Amino acid sequence: MKRTFLISNLVWIGFAAIVCWGGLKLGFGSFHQPQAGFMPFLSGLVLGLLALVDLISGVINHWKGEKADKEIWADIHWGKLLLTLVMLFIYTVFFNTLGFIIATILLLFFLYRVMEPRPWWVVIIASFITTGLFYVGFKIGLDSQLPGGFLGF
Amino acid sequence: MDLLNYLVIGFSVALQPMNLFYCFLGVLIGTLVGVLPGLGPVAAMSLLLPATFHTTPVASIIMMAGIYYGAMYGGSTTSILVNIPGEAASVMTCLDGYQMARQGRAGPALGISAFGSFIAGTVGIIGMMLISPPLVNFALKFGPPEYFSLMILGLMILTFLTSASMVRALMMAAFGLIVGCIGLDNISGLARFAFNIPELLDGVGLVPVVMGLFGISEVMLNIELKIKREVFTSEVKGLLPTLGDWRKSIWSITRGTVIGFFLGILPGGGAVIASFVSYAIEKKVSKHPEEFGKGAIEGVAAPEAANNAAAQGAFIPLLTLGIPSNVVMAMLLGALIIHGVTPGPLLLSDHPQLFWGVVASMYVGNAMLLALNLPLIGIWVQLLRVPYSILFPLIILFCLIGSYSINNSSMDVLIMLVFGVIGYLMKKLSLEAAPMVLAFVLGPMLETALRQSLIKSKGSFSIFFTRPISAVCLILAIALLIMPMLPWFRRPGAALEHEDVT
Repeated sequence: MKRTFLISNLVWIGFAAIVCWGGLKLGFGSFHQPQAGFMPFLSGLVLGLLALVDLISGVINHWKGEKADKEIWADIHWGKLLLTLVMLFIYTVFFNTLGFIIATILLLFFLYRVMEPRPWWVVIIASFITTGLFYVGFKIGLDSQLPGGFLGF
Repeated sequence: MDLLNYLVIGFSVALQPMNLFYCFLGVLIGTLVGVLPGLGPVAAMSLLLPATFHTTPVASIIMMAGIYYGAMYGGSTTSILVNIPGEAASVMTCLDGYQMARQGRAGPALGISAFGSFIAGTVGIIGMMLISPPLVNFALKFGPPEYFSLMILGLMILTFLTSASMVRALMMAAFGLIVGCIGLDNISGLARFAFNIPELLDGVGLVPVVMGLFGISEVMLNIELKIKREVFTSEVKGLLPTLGDWRKSIWSITRGTVIGFFLGILPGGGAVIASFVSYAIEKKVSKHPEEFGKGAIEGVAAPEAANNAAAQGAFIPLLTLGIPSNVVMAMLLGALIIHGVTPGPLLLSDHPQLFWGVVASMYVGNAMLLALNLPLIGIWVQLLRVPYSILFPLIILFCLIGSYSINNSSMDVLIMLVFGVIGYLMKKLSLEAAPMVLAFVLGPMLETALRQSLIKSKGSFSIFFTRPISAVCLILAIALLIMPMLPWFRRPGAALEHEDVT
């Protein structure tokens, strides 16, 4: 049993059911007077039915030709991957408060260290230079409205 | 005569110093993102979209278009020298291009790829000039049912051609339609799936979705992979192909150009499919098919010509019908709308300077690309030496700033990250992002066309089958849906899945 595909199909079916329910709540209307929920309901219905077809054909054929669970999830550096994601979410949350410069320097400290261990002084200098170049390019060059944060610029 | 007049108008626009600068910038950035694996034209275009807000619509579209066809040129460099396609349309070039490099023939491989791209690109532009005006007259007959059916056909072609599993590709298209429903309903003004979040009332932005699905997810995959890069830099010499190389390649370039151009026009087609199909056909018609995959120059010339011709052809449905045929064109559609230009049949009459200016800029851009790709190959090669550990924080930063600066909203960055995770999981589960994005972009147009058609027909679906253009499109779409169920039929998407692309 290839559990990944089974779970994936069940998730899609569940998601489609929620969308259909949401569509009905918005109001389906009728075919000659479709309302706001018309398209979400139809799209959800199509998604759910297709996921069901995929699930049934997978069960019947034992997911022949699909990658095995091990093949999909083996050799993943989970720590590095999840840590990068968490840092990106934290960056997003504090982006406006800390401002572009501080938030980006802190993010780059982490990102430059995460792939391969480098001396801290290299990481610090690289983070400052990269942030500076991006600031000059986007804020000054392209007039992007990057947040100043508590520093105010 | 009219065509010549229009071309004169086009060149007078394209050769203005500012437009010339944006054209150069576009093809330069395009080549750069084509060369660098992990950063494709879609991500680059979405990143630079906010930067074009201060320019004219013509300059903006000239630059965006330059990025697209520039990436097609640049993508071959990494395929040939590193065996890693710079972008998806260059996957087939890896097969023979890298083998040629290993045999010490990197120069001719790069050379034929650049010349083939130039020839195909130029022929593609001529085709675009000739086909667009009559197609516009045809498109004026289109009403909501025709638009609906054509969009359905486009989605069906994309799902038919791109994925090993058509059911899963259609699932992704349905998912894209659902994401496209988020925000205020176009007709009633009711908020849908916005969960009282004000930023979601305008819907989910194309840029964060695309950057997440194609940029962040790619970075996530690369973090877990250990790619060993072997760059053949010392052997890049003699870029001009020999007479023998030309003799072998000229018909491959011709066939690649024709196939690429017509597959590019097809809604749902595009450069990736064109390069796969042209390689397969080239192998089939060759007298020495056994040489393919072992360094046959035809295997480089045909897909490179095809992806460049397709890049030009793809502009036709967007500029004449207002329907994007692939994700890149969807980005251009977004750019046009942001600049207050509605693409469609009236674009040619309402904004002739934009249309012909962009067409003429493509001639100029193609010439620039030839100059950029051949003499500057050494610089592009050096770029490949940048380790991924340095490159990936920069890609992440580009994505973060790019999605933030569209609306100056952290919510867009959050949406991008969420779609980054979704994109990563989709890649793990062999679910393709392209049908999802195309359906997401077409979703609001598709819904409006469907609802308008049903209101007009008082709820009868016969309206889609009683109007000839609509009926033909839907019948073709249904045929594409049924064909994979036939036991003797083997879909091209399924066949491509089994090609040895390593």
